[in-house]
Amino acid sequence: MAATNQHPFLSNVPFKDETPLPEDIPRVDDVGTTSAPLKSAAFFIGAYCKDFNDDYMLCKNENNDPKHCLKEGRKVTRLRKLRENCDKEFEAHWQCLDKNNQEYYQCRPQEKTFNTCVFNALNLEKVIPGTPQGKPPIHLKESPIFKPS
Amino acid sequence: MASTLQTQDSPRPGGFPAIRYKRNIPKRGPSGLVILTGLTAISTLGFYWASQTIQELRELKRERIWSRIYLVPMLQAELDRDSYRRTRASLQREAEIMKDVPDWKVGESVYNTKRYVPPSVFVLPEK
Repeated sequence: MAATNQHPFLSNVPFKDETPLPEDIPRVDDVGTTSAPLKSAAFFIGAYCKDFNDDYMLCKNENNDPKHCLKEGRKVTRLRKLRENCDKEFEAHWQCLDKNNQEYYQCRPQEKTFNTCVFNALNLEKVIPGTPQGKPPIHLKESPIFKPS
Repeated sequence: MASTLQTQDSPRPGGFPAIRYKRNIPKRGPSGLVILTGLTAISTLGFYWASQTIQELRELKRERIWSRIYLVPMLQAELDRDSYRRTRASLQREAEIMKDVPDWKVGESVYNTKRYVPPSVFVLPEK
Protein backbone atom coordinates (compact mmCIF):
# COMPACT_ATOMS: atom_id res chain seq x y z
CA MET A 1 0.00 0.00 0.00
CA ALA A 2 1.21 3.46 -0.77
CA ALA A 3 2.68 5.38 2.09
CA THR A 4 0.14 8.16 1.74
CA ASN A 5 -2.73 5.76 2.41
CA GLN A 6 -1.31 4.58 5.69
CA HIS A 7 -3.20 5.36 8.82
CA PRO A 8 -1.18 7.51 11.24
CA PHE A 9 -1.37 5.07 14.12
CA LEU A 10 -3.50 2.05 13.23
CA SER A 11 -1.63 -0.92 11.90
CA ASN A 12 -2.56 -3.50 9.30
CA VAL A 13 -0.16 -6.01 10.74
CA PRO A 14 -2.02 -8.41 13.03
CA PHE A 15 -0.77 -8.10 16.57
CA LYS A 16 0.25 -11.34 18.21
CA ASP A 17 0.76 -11.17 21.93
CA GLU A 18 3.28 -13.81 22.94
CA THR A 19 3.52 -12.85 26.60
CA PRO A 20 3.18 -16.10 28.54
CA LEU A 21 0.88 -16.65 31.49
CA PRO A 22 2.46 -15.77 34.83
CA GLU A 23 4.23 -18.52 36.74
CA ASP A 24 1.66 -18.85 39.49
CA ILE A 25 -0.98 -20.11 37.06
CA PRO A 26 -0.52 -23.71 35.97
CA ARG A 27 -0.24 -24.14 32.28
CA VAL A 28 -3.04 -25.99 30.52
CA ASP A 29 -2.73 -27.05 26.92
CA ASP A 30 -5.48 -26.13 24.54
CA VAL A 31 -7.72 -28.94 23.44
CA GLY A 32 -6.24 -28.50 20.01
CA THR A 33 -8.87 -30.14 17.85
CA THR A 34 -11.15 -28.84 15.19
CA SER A 35 -14.90 -28.62 15.53
CA ALA A 36 -15.75 -32.07 14.17
CA PRO A 37 -14.02 -34.14 16.90
CA LEU A 38 -15.46 -31.80 19.50
CA LYS A 39 -18.94 -32.18 18.09
CA SER A 40 -18.52 -35.93 17.93
CA ALA A 41 -17.46 -36.10 21.56
CA ALA A 42 -19.74 -33.35 22.86
CA PHE A 43 -22.30 -35.55 24.59
CA PHE A 44 -19.62 -37.62 26.32
CA ILE A 45 -17.76 -34.51 27.39
CA GLY A 46 -21.04 -33.24 28.78
CA ALA A 47 -21.65 -36.49 30.64
CA TYR A 48 -18.12 -37.09 31.86
CA CYS A 49 -17.35 -33.56 33.01
CA LYS A 50 -20.82 -32.64 34.17
CA ASP A 51 -19.82 -31.60 37.69
CA PHE A 52 -16.85 -29.54 36.57
CA ASN A 53 -18.83 -27.92 33.80
CA ASP A 54 -21.70 -27.01 36.13
CA ASP A 55 -19.23 -25.72 38.66
CA TYR A 56 -17.54 -23.57 36.06
CA MET A 57 -20.77 -22.17 34.66
CA LEU A 58 -22.04 -21.32 38.15
CA CYS A 59 -18.77 -19.56 38.78
CA LYS A 60 -19.15 -17.62 35.54
CA ASN A 61 -22.66 -16.71 36.54
CA GLU A 62 -21.26 -15.30 39.74
CA ASN A 63 -18.68 -13.14 38.03
CA ASN A 64 -17.93 -12.77 34.35
CA ASP A 65 -14.33 -11.71 34.91
CA PRO A 66 -11.94 -14.11 33.10
CA LYS A 67 -9.69 -13.99 36.15
CA HIS A 68 -12.40 -15.14 38.51
CA CYS A 69 -12.86 -18.68 37.20
CA LEU A 70 -9.40 -19.72 36.12
CA LYS A 71 -9.23 -22.39 38.80
CA GLU A 72 -12.56 -23.95 37.85
CA GLY A 73 -11.75 -23.58 34.18
CA ARG A 74 -8.60 -25.66 34.48
CA LYS A 75 -10.58 -28.75 35.40
CA VAL A 76 -12.68 -28.52 32.30
CA THR A 77 -11.70 -31.23 30.05
CA ARG A 78 -9.63 -33.43 27.79
CA LEU A 79 -10.36 -35.89 25.05
CA ARG A 80 -7.66 -38.29 26.20
CA LYS A 81 -9.91 -41.00 27.59
CA LEU A 82 -11.87 -41.28 24.38
CA ARG A 83 -8.69 -41.55 22.38
CA GLU A 84 -7.36 -44.29 24.64
CA ASN A 85 -10.44 -46.46 24.54
CA CYS A 86 -12.35 -45.90 21.34
CA ASP A 87 -9.89 -44.26 19.02
CA LYS A 88 -10.98 -46.11 15.87
CA GLU A 89 -14.72 -45.54 16.34
CA PHE A 90 -14.17 -41.94 17.39
CA GLU A 91 -12.04 -41.34 14.32
CA ALA A 92 -14.66 -42.87 12.02
CA HIS A 93 -17.46 -40.80 13.52
CA TRP A 94 -15.77 -37.44 13.44
CA GLN A 95 -14.39 -38.02 9.97
CA CYS A 96 -17.96 -38.71 8.88
CA LEU A 97 -19.19 -35.53 10.59
CA ASP A 98 -16.42 -33.58 8.96
CA LYS A 99 -17.44 -34.78 5.53
CA ASN A 100 -21.19 -34.35 6.03
CA ASN A 101 -21.56 -30.75 7.09
CA GLN A 102 -21.44 -31.83 10.74
CA GLU A 103 -24.95 -33.21 10.66
CA TYR A 104 -25.50 -35.93 13.23
CA TYR A 105 -28.23 -37.63 11.19
CA GLN A 106 -25.78 -38.32 8.37
CA CYS A 107 -23.56 -40.41 10.63
CA ARG A 108 -25.92 -42.64 12.61
CA PRO A 109 -24.21 -45.96 11.78
CA GLN A 110 -20.80 -44.69 12.90
CA GLU A 111 -22.39 -43.03 15.89
CA LYS A 112 -23.99 -46.30 16.95
CA THR A 113 -20.71 -48.21 17.06
CA PHE A 114 -19.00 -45.27 18.74
CA ASN A 115 -21.72 -45.00 21.39
CA THR A 116 -21.67 -48.71 22.22
CA CYS A 117 -17.88 -48.64 22.44
CA VAL A 118 -17.92 -45.70 24.82
CA PHE A 119 -20.69 -47.26 26.85
CA ASN A 120 -18.70 -50.47 27.26
CA ALA A 121 -15.40 -48.77 27.98
CA LEU A 122 -16.33 -45.71 30.02
CA ASN A 123 -19.95 -46.37 30.95
CA LEU A 124 -21.05 -43.09 29.44
CA GLU A 125 -24.33 -42.69 27.65
CA LYS A 126 -25.55 -40.13 25.20
CA VAL A 127 -28.53 -38.33 26.70
CA ILE A 128 -30.29 -35.46 24.99
CA PRO A 129 -32.11 -33.43 27.63
CA GLY A 130 -35.68 -32.47 26.89
CA THR A 131 -36.61 -35.39 24.65
CA PRO A 132 -40.41 -35.80 24.70
CA GLN A 133 -41.72 -38.40 27.12
CA GLY A 134 -42.34 -41.88 25.71
CA LYS A 135 -40.49 -41.27 22.48
CA PRO A 136 -37.08 -42.68 21.60
CA PRO A 137 -34.34 -40.06 21.47
CA ILE A 138 -33.55 -39.02 17.95
CA HIS A 139 -30.28 -40.94 17.69
CA LEU A 140 -32.07 -44.20 18.55
CA LYS A 141 -35.09 -43.70 16.28
CA GLU A 142 -35.84 -46.82 14.25
CA SER A 143 -36.81 -45.32 10.92
CA PRO A 144 -35.93 -41.67 10.82
CA ILE A 145 -37.18 -39.43 8.05
CA PHE A 146 -33.74 -37.87 7.67
CA LYS A 147 -31.51 -40.79 6.77
CA PRO A 148 -27.83 -40.91 5.96
CA SER A 149 -27.59 -40.30 2.26
CA MET B 1 -121.84 -15.36 -50.22
CA ALA B 2 -121.21 -18.42 -48.36
CA SER B 3 -119.30 -17.76 -45.29
CA THR B 4 -115.99 -19.53 -45.10
CA LEU B 5 -115.73 -21.99 -42.36
CA GLN B 6 -113.50 -20.56 -39.68
CA THR B 7 -111.19 -23.31 -38.42
CA GLN B 8 -108.87 -23.00 -35.44
CA ASP B 9 -105.37 -24.42 -35.51
CA SER B 10 -105.13 -27.37 -33.32
CA PRO B 11 -102.25 -29.58 -32.36
CA ARG B 12 -101.29 -32.24 -34.70
CA PRO B 13 -102.58 -35.62 -33.87
CA GLY B 14 -100.55 -37.08 -31.08
CA GLY B 15 -99.59 -33.68 -29.79
CA PHE B 16 -96.37 -31.70 -30.06
CA PRO B 17 -93.13 -33.20 -28.73
CA ALA B 18 -91.78 -31.72 -25.54
CA ILE B 19 -89.67 -28.63 -26.00
CA ARG B 20 -85.97 -29.29 -25.36
CA TYR B 21 -84.92 -26.52 -23.10
CA LYS B 22 -82.46 -28.46 -20.85
CA ARG B 23 -78.76 -28.59 -21.72
CA ASN B 24 -77.86 -31.95 -23.01
CA ILE B 25 -74.32 -32.51 -21.75
CA PRO B 26 -73.20 -35.94 -20.66
CA LYS B 27 -72.08 -36.31 -17.02
CA ARG B 28 -68.35 -36.53 -16.71
CA GLY B 29 -65.87 -37.23 -13.92
CA PRO B 30 -66.40 -38.10 -10.27
CA SER B 31 -69.00 -36.36 -8.24
CA GLY B 32 -68.31 -33.43 -5.98
CA LEU B 33 -68.53 -35.56 -2.89
CA VAL B 34 -65.85 -37.92 -4.17
CA ILE B 35 -63.55 -35.04 -5.07
CA LEU B 36 -64.06 -33.43 -1.70
CA THR B 37 -63.34 -36.59 0.27
CA GLY B 38 -60.31 -37.36 -1.88
CA LEU B 39 -58.96 -33.90 -1.35
CA THR B 40 -59.45 -34.12 2.39
CA ALA B 41 -57.73 -37.50 2.51
CA ILE B 42 -54.70 -36.31 0.56
CA SER B 43 -54.41 -33.17 2.65
CA THR B 44 -54.65 -35.12 5.89
CA LEU B 45 -51.88 -37.44 4.79
CA GLY B 46 -49.74 -34.50 3.74
CA PHE B 47 -50.26 -32.70 7.02
CA TYR B 48 -49.41 -35.88 8.92
CA TRP B 49 -46.14 -36.28 7.04
CA ALA B 50 -45.32 -32.62 7.47
CA SER B 51 -45.93 -32.80 11.21
CA GLN B 52 -43.76 -35.90 11.52
CA THR B 53 -40.97 -34.15 9.64
CA ILE B 54 -41.28 -31.03 11.75
CA GLN B 55 -41.13 -33.07 14.95
CA GLU B 56 -38.02 -34.89 13.79
CA LEU B 57 -36.38 -31.66 12.71
CA ARG B 58 -37.12 -30.26 16.13
CA GLU B 59 -35.39 -33.21 17.78
CA LEU B 60 -32.39 -32.88 15.48
CA LYS B 61 -32.19 -29.23 16.39
CA ARG B 62 -32.36 -30.06 20.08
CA GLU B 63 -29.52 -32.55 19.63
CA ARG B 64 -27.46 -29.91 17.83
CA ILE B 65 -28.13 -27.29 20.49
CA TRP B 66 -27.20 -29.59 23.37
CA SER B 67 -24.00 -30.69 21.69
CA ARG B 68 -23.06 -27.03 21.67
CA ILE B 69 -24.18 -26.40 25.25
CA TYR B 70 -21.97 -29.23 26.48
CA LEU B 71 -18.96 -27.69 24.76
CA VAL B 72 -19.48 -24.15 26.00
CA PRO B 73 -17.64 -24.47 29.36
CA MET B 74 -14.53 -25.86 27.73
CA LEU B 75 -14.41 -23.30 24.97
CA GLN B 76 -15.14 -20.48 27.38
CA ALA B 77 -12.44 -21.66 29.78
CA GLU B 78 -9.91 -21.64 26.98
CA LEU B 79 -10.95 -18.17 25.94
CA ASP B 80 -10.78 -17.01 29.55
CA ARG B 81 -7.21 -18.18 29.96
CA ASP B 82 -6.18 -16.44 26.79
CA SER B 83 -7.96 -13.17 27.51
CA TYR B 84 -6.55 -13.14 31.04
CA ARG B 85 -3.05 -13.56 29.65
CA ARG B 86 -3.56 -10.75 27.13
CA THR B 87 -5.13 -8.39 29.64
CA ARG B 88 -2.26 -8.91 32.04
CA ALA B 89 0.30 -8.21 29.34
CA SER B 90 -1.59 -5.10 28.36
CA LEU B 91 -1.67 -3.89 31.96
CA GLN B 92 2.06 -4.47 32.31
CA ARG B 93 2.72 -2.34 29.24
CA GLU B 94 0.41 0.34 30.60
CA ALA B 95 2.33 0.37 33.88
CA GLU B 96 5.58 0.66 31.98
CA ILE B 97 4.34 3.60 29.91
CA MET B 98 2.72 5.48 32.79
CA LYS B 99 5.38 4.86 35.41
CA ASP B 100 6.37 8.54 35.51
CA VAL B 101 2.86 9.80 36.12
CA PRO B 102 2.09 10.09 39.81
CA ASP B 103 -1.27 8.86 41.11
CA TRP B 104 -1.87 6.77 38.01
CA LYS B 105 -3.76 3.62 38.84
CA VAL B 106 -2.98 0.90 36.35
CA GLY B 107 -6.03 -0.79 34.91
CA GLU B 108 -8.51 1.30 36.87
CA SER B 109 -12.01 0.89 35.59
CA VAL B 110 -13.73 3.97 34.27
CA TYR B 111 -17.09 2.59 35.33
CA ASN B 112 -18.55 3.10 38.74
CA THR B 113 -19.52 -0.52 39.27
CA LYS B 114 -18.16 -3.66 40.84
CA ARG B 115 -19.38 -5.74 37.95
CA TYR B 116 -16.76 -6.92 35.45
CA VAL B 117 -16.67 -4.80 32.33
CA PRO B 118 -14.51 -6.12 29.49
CA PRO B 119 -11.75 -3.66 28.69
CA SER B 120 -12.34 -1.64 25.56
CA VAL B 121 -8.81 -0.27 25.32
CA PHE B 122 -5.73 -2.45 24.98
CA VAL B 123 -2.23 -1.09 25.14
CA LEU B 124 -0.10 -2.42 22.32
CA PRO B 125 3.69 -2.15 22.23
CA GLU B 126 5.14 0.47 19.93
CA LYS B 127 6.66 -0.93 16.80
